[in-house]
Amino acid sequence: MSDLFAFKGAEGAGYAQPKPVSNEFNIPTKLQRKELPRWPRASEPEIVRHYTWLSTRSHGIDSGFYPLGSCTMKHNPRVNERIVQLSGMNDIHPLAPASHLQGLMAIFHEMQEMLAHCAGMDAVTLQPVAGAQGEFTAIRCIQEYHRDIGEEHRNKVIVPDSAHGTNPASAAMCGYEIIEIPSQDDGRLDLDALRAVVGDDTAAMMITNPSTLGVFEPEIAEAAEIVHSAGGQMYYDGANFNAILGKTNPGLMGFDAVHYNLHKTFSQPHGGGGPGAGPIGVKSHLSDYLPAPLVTAQTDDEGYLWFDWFEPPRSIGKVQQWHGNSGATIRAWAFYRRYGKELETMSEHAVLNANYLRHKIMNPSTEILSSIHAMPVDGAPAEVVKHEFTLNMTPVKEATGVTGKDVAKRLLDYGYMAPTLYFPMIVPECLMFEPTETESKEAIDKFAEDFLNILAEDPEYVKTAPHETPVKRVDEVWAARNLVLRHPLDEE
Amino acid sequence: MVDQLPNLGREKQMLAEMGMSSMDDLFSDIPTGVQRKVPLDLPEPQTEEEIFREAQMLLGMNVPVNSRPSFIGAGLYSNYVPSMVPMLATRGEFLTAYTPYQPEVSQGFLQAMWEFQTMISELVELPVSNVSMYDASTAAAEAITCAVRVHDRKSTQKSTIYVSELVPPHRMSVIHNYTQGADIVIKKIPHGDDGLLNLDAAAEAEGACAVYVEQPNAFGLLDEGLCKLKSIIGDNTALIVGVQPVSLGLVSPPGSYGADIVVGEGQPFGIGPTAGGPIYGLFACTEAYIRQMPGRIVGLSRDSDGERAFTLTLSTREQHIRRHRATSNICSNETLIALMGSMHMALLGPEGLESLAIRNAGACSAAKAAIFSIEGIESAHPNGFHFNEFVVKLPSEASKLLQYLDEECDVTGGFDLSNWWPEYDNQLLICTTDQIDIEDIEQLAEGISKWLEVNA
Repeated sequence: MSDLFAFKGAEGAGYAQPKPVSNEFNIPTKLQRKELPRWPRASEPEIVRHYTWLSTRSHGIDSGFYPLGSCTMKHNPRVNERIVQLSGMNDIHPLAPASHLQGLMAIFHEMQEMLAHCAGMDAVTLQPVAGAQGEFTAIRCIQEYHRDIGEEHRNKVIVPDSAHGTNPASAAMCGYEIIEIPSQDDGRLDLDALRAVVGDDTAAMMITNPSTLGVFEPEIAEAAEIVHSAGGQMYYDGANFNAILGKTNPGLMGFDAVHYNLHKTFSQPHGGGGPGAGPIGVKSHLSDYLPAPLVTAQTDDEGYLWFDWFEPPRSIGKVQQWHGNSGATIRAWAFYRRYGKELETMSEHAVLNANYLRHKIMNPSTEILSSIHAMPVDGAPAEVVKHEFTLNMTPVKEATGVTGKDVAKRLLDYGYMAPTLYFPMIVPECLMFEPTETESKEAIDKFAEDFLNILAEDPEYVKTAPHETPVKRVDEVWAARNLVLRHPLDEE
Repeated sequence: MVDQLPNLGREKQMLAEMGMSSMDDLFSDIPTGVQRKVPLDLPEPQTEEEIFREAQMLLGMNVPVNSRPSFIGAGLYSNYVPSMVPMLATRGEFLTAYTPYQPEVSQGFLQAMWEFQTMISELVELPVSNVSMYDASTAAAEAITCAVRVHDRKSTQKSTIYVSELVPPHRMSVIHNYTQGADIVIKKIPHGDDGLLNLDAAAEAEGACAVYVEQPNAFGLLDEGLCKLKSIIGDNTALIVGVQPVSLGLVSPPGSYGADIVVGEGQPFGIGPTAGGPIYGLFACTEAYIRQMPGRIVGLSRDSDGERAFTLTLSTREQHIRRHRATSNICSNETLIALMGSMHMALLGPEGLESLAIRNAGACSAAKAAIFSIEGIESAHPNGFHFNEFVVKLPSEASKLLQYLDEECDVTGGFDLSNWWPEYDNQLLICTTDQIDIEDIEQLAEGISKWLEVNA
């Protein structure tokens, strides 16, 4: 146990700094701080050891297989980290003159073009810093577009009940009423349900494809037609874009706006919850509304490319103060350059691995099958899935009392991160798996074997899992009831 | 590419096991009408070495603030970040982890974030901090919507908030985008010629949901009057204060003068200005706002053996549970950068923070002395108190001086305030961080003098 606030070295212990230019400063008397914050006092070796210890109690992709569905936990190439630490990235100021930022802007410009091309869109802004913020930004653009064309009465946004929680949350933040439509029994989009709710008040529909079940929506073009006929806009949640690069794109499916999760498809590391990046792409009728600034390229008199900032004429303004998570843009650039036109191969392997894992789990040998208490069933029936798939663990629960959560916790004992639990909500006892393209066949084989092995284990042992992790099952109710949200320094 | 995909060359074998013969079989579910018929028009794949070389070339064209005397701040500050910070934060267990939904294997990250919450809580003197917002602007915007949810029922000015007129336009734009959906009315509080908040005007905010002010403000001014603000606006109006966190090594924490919510740009702790992102927003508040606050929060708990353990808590506020009724749509946040900030703060310690603040403020005093001794240059706020930024009044446009300093003196002279407010076209915002030494200041002063001579 290493406690940061137990480091109580002598006054002044810690980080040694050069002498100040001057000891003179003028702070009004009433505003002078009386007591310094009670931060730890520790030397560098102590702090290094503390955080190293903490890291050993964390699990990343580097630690082991991380099949967390919907999150696309793929390998993060290390050269990308080296690149963003270059001074030409880490130490540049967004308010510096454009002449100081030409290299950055060149990469921004290339990324705007590349992302637009991959999604079949006409214009891209890199500013939104997360997928949810991308959704918010695109819906804001649609809102202003509707206001401009005299359609501001459109006050409803439609989402399927399988949607990510951010979709309705983002639209609600823009002031929209949310209409949730039920999926069909097989988890697919229900066109009749859609027809029943679209109308003169429809602002947009938000949907991801492949869906959160990992299944490609076969009637997506018809859905777009229905929404467009009613005068609404189609918004593509790009969380699952990793599955379809080069195979299809949101433009072909009929979407008007899309966000990209650079932290999913383009390998920006997830960092324990962020930073991410959620650029958006739009068709030309929405491009005037994008957040400012974008980057434009011109060739000067001497034939050199010159990059400049550009404010779209009817811009919604800003959603982040600067240029978004530029570091994520740079990493995503380095990632895409590694694949180039072979990004299609990346998607193929993501889909190959997901189907292979599903096959391995759902088709155990007779010998293994005979030892298993009960098998899960598919969350959604499908010949093939895309980059992820869901399992309904109800049969296991009914046979043994072991829940999806119990199995998820038991997987932690085997050194795996658990799959996504109880999402999408339309699949009972749902586990959602996404192996990504960067897992080997051997790793997938072993995971499937271990997963099936858990289904054969003593149910009581599984129900009390995990057993071999740094702590046992954590009581989330205790945390919410007691709300100890900081270190109680005085009580020590 | 070939070093990234472990199953290249084994496709056939894996497909055969599934009873398939080609990759196309895996995409047979995509209807013909929406299939892409032509390959992506993108460059050939590159190797790590080629990519790194090109990145070095391209990013080498940029002019880093630490490659020459740079006096540009305006919300992002170039403080030295100890080497330990990026090295430890990029350990794979941190770098490549997702949000710690499985606390049993995420204790390290959760503890680090709980420690972050503690250090921010101590820094601003408020009991609760979340794990980060995207940046200072979204932190301010979501503080406002949070305050409206808490106070609107009892307010006498429904859905109305007051904002200092000196909140910079790019931040105001974010606030507008985040608040317009809830039909929040934003009113401005004026500042006097001395740059300080007009407290008489601020009294009109009584009965509104919130007041948002910044300390120091956009002119770099420290405003003692803000200490009276809470008693002026009353208990049912949230006082939201935006801070530059390094200043709090010398300046009173807003919690000590009645702030209900404190927001700010965490960036100077942990990371360089990095073109403006990824950085992280601070969000701290009193207990009254806990259930309406945005973002992830870590709480202490127990495991099934009764041992101390950490977990994410209060998630019933969040989008993945509450969907369109969530307090915010935030999901991905800036945890890793907040972790870097945490490491930096932990290494500084209390006295290290104070030293860092003194280095910023000391350089500011030295710069003011050097620049205001130049004939023809005036302070925009002669009696003002400054932390590490101040405004200089010039005889002609700031943009011309900046161009001269840039091209003739290799100095990045500051920020032209007319970019924010056109009426301030002869005013220059100068920032001094711990990275400014006396030679830098002399070079700036010399450059300004030369420019005055040339233009005399």
